[in-house]
Amino acid sequence: MAEFTAEVYQNEFLPEGGTDVNAIVTMTCSGAGSAGQTGSGDAGEIIIVDTSGSMGRIKLEAAKVAAAAAVDQIIDGTWFAVVAGTHQAYLAFPLVRAGKGMVQMDSNARYAAHQAISQFRADGGTAMGTWLALAGRLFDSVPGLAQRHAILLTDGENHNETPEQLTNAIRGVTGKFQCDCRGVGVDWQVAEVRRIAQALLGSVDIIPEPDQMGQVFAELMQQSMSRGVADAQLRVWAPQGAQVLFVRQVSPTVEDLTSRRVEVNPLTGGYPTGSWGDESRDYHVSVRLAAKGLGQEQLAARVQLAVGDQVVVQSLVKAKWSDDEGLTTRINPEVAHYTGQTELAEAIQEGLAAKAAGDDETATMKLGRAVQLAAETGNEEATTRLRKVVDIDDSETGTVRLKRAVDKVDEMALDTASTKTTRIRG
Amino acid sequence: MTDHLTQSAAAPPAAIPQADGNLSCPHCGAEVAPQEAFCEACGGALTPTAAGSTGQPDEMAAPIEITRSIKTEDEETVVVARPCANCGGVIGADGYCETCGTKAPTERDHYTEQPALWVAACCDVGVRHHRNEDATAVAAEPTPRSRAVLVVCDGVSTSLDSDVASLAAARRARDVLVAHRPAGLGTPASRVAAITGAVVKAAAEANAAVIENTAPGSDNAASCTFAAAVVEADLVVFGNVGDSRVYWIPDAGSSGNPTELSVDDSVAQARIAMGVPRAEAETGPQAHAITKWLGRDSPDFVPRTGSIGVTSPGWVLVCSDGLWNYASEATALQSLVTELSTPDADPLALAVALVDWAKSRGGKDNISVALARL
Repeated sequence: MAEFTAEVYQNEFLPEGGTDVNAIVTMTCSGAGSAGQTGSGDAGEIIIVDTSGSMGRIKLEAAKVAAAAAVDQIIDGTWFAVVAGTHQAYLAFPLVRAGKGMVQMDSNARYAAHQAISQFRADGGTAMGTWLALAGRLFDSVPGLAQRHAILLTDGENHNETPEQLTNAIRGVTGKFQCDCRGVGVDWQVAEVRRIAQALLGSVDIIPEPDQMGQVFAELMQQSMSRGVADAQLRVWAPQGAQVLFVRQVSPTVEDLTSRRVEVNPLTGGYPTGSWGDESRDYHVSVRLAAKGLGQEQLAARVQLAVGDQVVVQSLVKAKWSDDEGLTTRINPEVAHYTGQTELAEAIQEGLAAKAAGDDETATMKLGRAVQLAAETGNEEATTRLRKVVDIDDSETGTVRLKRAVDKVDEMALDTASTKTTRIRG
Repeated sequence: MTDHLTQSAAAPPAAIPQADGNLSCPHCGAEVAPQEAFCEACGGALTPTAAGSTGQPDEMAAPIEITRSIKTEDEETVVVARPCANCGGVIGADGYCETCGTKAPTERDHYTEQPALWVAACCDVGVRHHRNEDATAVAAEPTPRSRAVLVVCDGVSTSLDSDVASLAAARRARDVLVAHRPAGLGTPASRVAAITGAVVKAAAEANAAVIENTAPGSDNAASCTFAAAVVEADLVVFGNVGDSRVYWIPDAGSSGNPTELSVDDSVAQARIAMGVPRAEAETGPQAHAITKWLGRDSPDFVPRTGSIGVTSPGWVLVCSDGLWNYASEATALQSLVTELSTPDADPLALAVALVDWAKSRGGKDNISVALARL
C-alpha cells in the first residue's frame, strides 16, 4: 500500500497586521508499487511517434528503436497502443478500426507491436493536436483504466495546425491522460511542446542526438511503470475569508497549479498532480488572511493529498501573530530557496524569449539575474547550462554578456531545463 | 512536523491498560497514572480512565473535561464538544476550526470544573502566554455550604515543566484535603487545628508531587505556587505558598468587609510590609518574584495558614496572579464580583466571567479562578 507523509516548512510568526503566510509542503510517497498492479485498476500507455517527412531516415530509425525500447518496458497486463503522427494521426498498433483501441500486453502483443513499429515510414506534416485527440479517444475506448500515460516524440514545429487548433485539442484531453514530451533535434518549438506537457502534467526535454532516444524512452516508460498510485489530488483548505494567492509545485520542477483549481467544497480547492511513484515533491502555498490580534493563533491552510476520494495525508500551515521581531523577521530557508528557484525559472525563460525576439538588452538583464540566482541558490546545473549561452563576468552581481554564437541545442537545453529545481536539504 | 490523517480520528484515544495492570499513554507508551489527564512524558491528552482506582468518590476524582455536568456516583459524565469560539463552526480533529481556522484551546489551555452546584473553577492560558502553567483542582459535596476544597497552583514560567508541576501539585493537594475528614473532634479550635494541619500536609504532598512528576537534575527545577481553601459549613481554613491568593468576598451590602485572607510570599509583599504603597510595589521591579514556592529547589514549602468564620453570604475566591494583577485590592474584587455575578449566584458563570474580564484587560498571564458560594 502506498504511504504518504507530509512535512511543512514555514515561519508561522507574523508581525502585527501581517497577512501573508508562505509555506513549503513536502509530500513523499513510498511503497507505491507498479502501475496497474496495485488492484485499483489497470494502467494504459500510448507511445506517440512523429513520423513526419522531416524525421528522415536516421531520426526515424532511431525513433523505431526508441519506441521498441519503450514497448519492452511495458509490464504484462498494461493496456497499450502505438500511434504514428503526421498531419493526421494513425493507430499503428493494434490494427483495429472499431471497439477497443488498445490491447493488454503479453508476449504476443509485444511481438506484434515490434512488427508494427518496424513498418514506420517518414512522410507527411505535423499536427500534434490530432495525435492528442486520437490518444484521448483510444483511452476512452477502454473503460476502467485507472492510470493513463503517453509518451510523445516530435522533431519539428506544428506546421499543419493553427495554435488555436492545438489549444483546443489540448483542452479536449486535459485530465484524460498524462503526457511526457520529448523533442529530438533543434527544429521544434520548446514553448509549443511545453504547453502540451504542462497541461497534461508531464515533462518536456530535448534529445539532442537521435541515438540517445532509445535510452530516454526506456527510462520514461520505466518511470511511468513504477508509478503505482494512479491519481492523486493536492487539496488546499483555507479558512473562510482567506485567499489562496498561489499554489505551485516547486520540486522537482516548477509548475504553477493555481489556475488548475477545481472546487472540492466551498473552502477547499483541488489541484491535479497525476500519478505518483516512490518520490517526493515540494509545493509552495501562499495564503492571505485577515490579520488577528497579537498572541492569537490561526490555521492558514490545511494541505492534503487525496487518492481517489480519500484524504491520505494532511499537514497544517499555521499563523501566529507576535510582537517579537526576532521571530517575525525570519524567513524560512526553504521558502526563500524555492521563491528564488521560481524566479530563476522565470528569468531564464524571459531572457531566452527576449533574445529570440532580438531584445538583447532585456535578455542580458534577465539572464544576468538568472546567473545571480543560480549562484545564490547553489543550482550548479542551471549555472552550467547558462554558461553555454552567456559569458559570466561576475555571478554575484549578475553581470553577463550574451555569447555571439550560441549552439541552438544549448539554448533549447537551457529552456527545457529552466523549470528544474534543486533542493537545499542537507 | 509530520501529520497522518487516519480514518478513525473521531474519538480521542484512551490510556491503554497494560498486562501488569498499569496504564500507558496511547501516544508515546510511557506509563501513566489512572487519575492523570495528560501524559507526563509527551504531554498528550488522555481521556478519562476508569475512576475508582484511587478509592475516592467519583465527584472528587473527576478528570478534566471541556464542560462538566454535576454528577453523583451513578450518573454518566457528559462531555460536550464546544463549537468554535470565533465563528461557531465545528472544531476539526486537528484542533482548529474547520470554517475559520481559529485554534481551539486544548483542554490544558482552558478548562472548567464544577463538582457541585455551589463550587466551580476556571483555568485559562490567557492572551499572551503560549502554555497554560496554571492549574486548579476543586472538590465539593453536593449539599451547599457543606464541604469544599479549592486549590490553585501557578507554575513559575522560568522553570521547565511547570505546567506539569502545577497540575500534579493542585490535584495531589486536593486529593489529600478531600481524604482528610476530621470527625469526632471536640472543640472548634481543635477542628481548626486539624484542618490547618491537613492544609500543611497537602502543601507537603503537593511539593512531593512536583518533584515526582518533573525531571530531576535540571538547572531550572519545575516550581509552582500553592493556594488552598477548605470550606466546612461556616469555617474557611486557608493556606498559601507563593503569590496565589485566597480572598473572602462578602456580597455587597451584607456585613463584613472583603478581605485578602492570604499573604503573598513575594518581593512586592515584602515591600508593602515596609510601607511602599501597594500599586507601586506590585508594578515595580521584581514585583512577581516569589520568595517561597513548591519544587525541588524550594527552601521552605510550609504554607502560611489561617482561618475565618463566615456568617454572611459571599464568595470564597482562590485565584492566581493572572486575575489579581488587574484587581489586587479586595474591595476592587468585590466590585468586580458584584458586577459580574449572576442573580442565581452561579459560581461557574462567575468564574468564567472573571477569566474573560482578565483577558479583556490584557490577559498577560495564565488565569485561574476557584469559587465557593457561601
